[in-house]
Amino acid sequence: MKVAAPMFLKTPFLISGALASCALALLAAPAPTRAEVLYKLTTTCSLMGADPQACTVEAEDFDRVTLYRHRIGAITKTVRVTDTPLKMELYDADSKQWKQLQSASARFSANTVCFNGRDLCVVNPNYLNSVKEGRPELMAGRDLVRVHFDSNGRTNASCYDDGCDLVLK
Amino acid sequence: MKHLAGLALLLAGVITLPAGAGFAFDPPAGTSPTQLIARGAGGGSRGGGGSRGGGGGSRGGSGSRGGGGNFRSGGGGAGGGGRANTGFSSSGSGLSRGSSRPSGGWSNQVRQPGANPSLNRPSGNAVAGNRNLDNNRNINRDVNRDVNRNVNVNRDINRNVNRNANVNVNWNRRVNINNVNVNAGWARAGWGVARPWNYGWYGGWNTPTWGWWGARAATWGIATLATASIINNAVNSAISANQTTILVPNSNYQLIFASVVPTSSSVVSFAVTTDGGTYQLNADCNAGLLDGRQPQSASEAELLNAACQVAFGNA
Repeated sequence: MKVAAPMFLKTPFLISGALASCALALLAAPAPTRAEVLYKLTTTCSLMGADPQACTVEAEDFDRVTLYRHRIGAITKTVRVTDTPLKMELYDADSKQWKQLQSASARFSANTVCFNGRDLCVVNPNYLNSVKEGRPELMAGRDLVRVHFDSNGRTNASCYDDGCDLVLK
Repeated sequence: MKHLAGLALLLAGVITLPAGAGFAFDPPAGTSPTQLIARGAGGGSRGGGGSRGGGGGSRGGSGSRGGGGNFRSGGGGAGGGGRANTGFSSSGSGLSRGSSRPSGGWSNQVRQPGANPSLNRPSGNAVAGNRNLDNNRNINRDVNRDVNRNVNVNRDINRNVNRNANVNVNWNRRVNINNVNVNAGWARAGWGVARPWNYGWYGGWNTPTWGWWGARAATWGIATLATASIINNAVNSAISANQTTILVPNSNYQLIFASVVPTSSSVVSFAVTTDGGTYQLNADCNAGLLDGRQPQSASEAELLNAACQVAFGNA
């Protein structure tokens, strides 16, 4: 003979089942993206080709993206970089949106990286050390490296040293 | 009851969402975190971050992240055949995220005054910090003079090296050249500024802190050690020629300059090749000691001086 469980007994079962589901779901959830400050560099920047100014660069790494915050006086310029494929974007504070960069250049001998022509240039040996060490064969003997991006932000031209005179205007 | 069950399912569903990413980092003012992530993950071709190699956040070493090796894995791995050499394995963008920690570590300050951002080649030379060309002319004359004089000295050096190999335990610390890091990120054009540690204090022989120098130098028959300019130029030339070693002046030693790694504010570890072997040594640049003892020959003093200049000298 079946005896129906009273309602007050069923409720705890349901609640505990829900809690168990929650716990399982919590365990199954992907680990949250972690931010890691790679370094804070006191260095020199220039904006729009103007005179150099003292600035700081804070590089912060996430799973899929690295942010470079350049603080020049009251101005902050943040560049976001992803790999494979390489993409670079600059945060536009006015529109509150990320905007694709058109180009990025590096001059190893001057330890300089520039974004969008000379809109933002910075002495950042850390970045260049990492780039060089990451691809030693490709970077051996290079001094000037330039990358150009299409309207979708994908690399559509890349050149080195004298080759940049041939490929890019 | 149905309401309660529904609530539980809803709760479970909310927790299952990959929400962490949305709260992961501090956006620039006025940007929602999800906006940052959404664009950052764009393209969708990373395949879940698998291209980082090694997983587990093993960042060090010569990062495999930006590598052109990604191109090799195309084709879906059909049936165990060998990979074709496509010629494109090292192509792709010249730049990368720059987030892999280089072997020398991160710098927190660019110390050299006048290191201003520029896409132009530093004046007159390929490498930042070089002296002017007039100095180079003088330097070259010095080098030649030294080399000629060293015809006799070298014979002594060879004798000393062999004798030291038997006497000094540290010179027996032979290493496999393949295990020496010749690709340190800072060992490149612009290395003077790129060194991520403290530099600039090493005065070399001009302002010796070595009490042994005067007396020893007389017996060795040499008046000076190589100048900073000579050593800097040797490194610059090696970098331009894609070489990993410099010939230490007045010696048979070849310093693997990229192996130079400070272990303290005045002690540096490095690898050197001589007589077909590669040795791991250290130099105390303040006390003037090579592997904990005074240099036993002029060539050892030159080696110590060269390693210290590369690590801590102005460049």
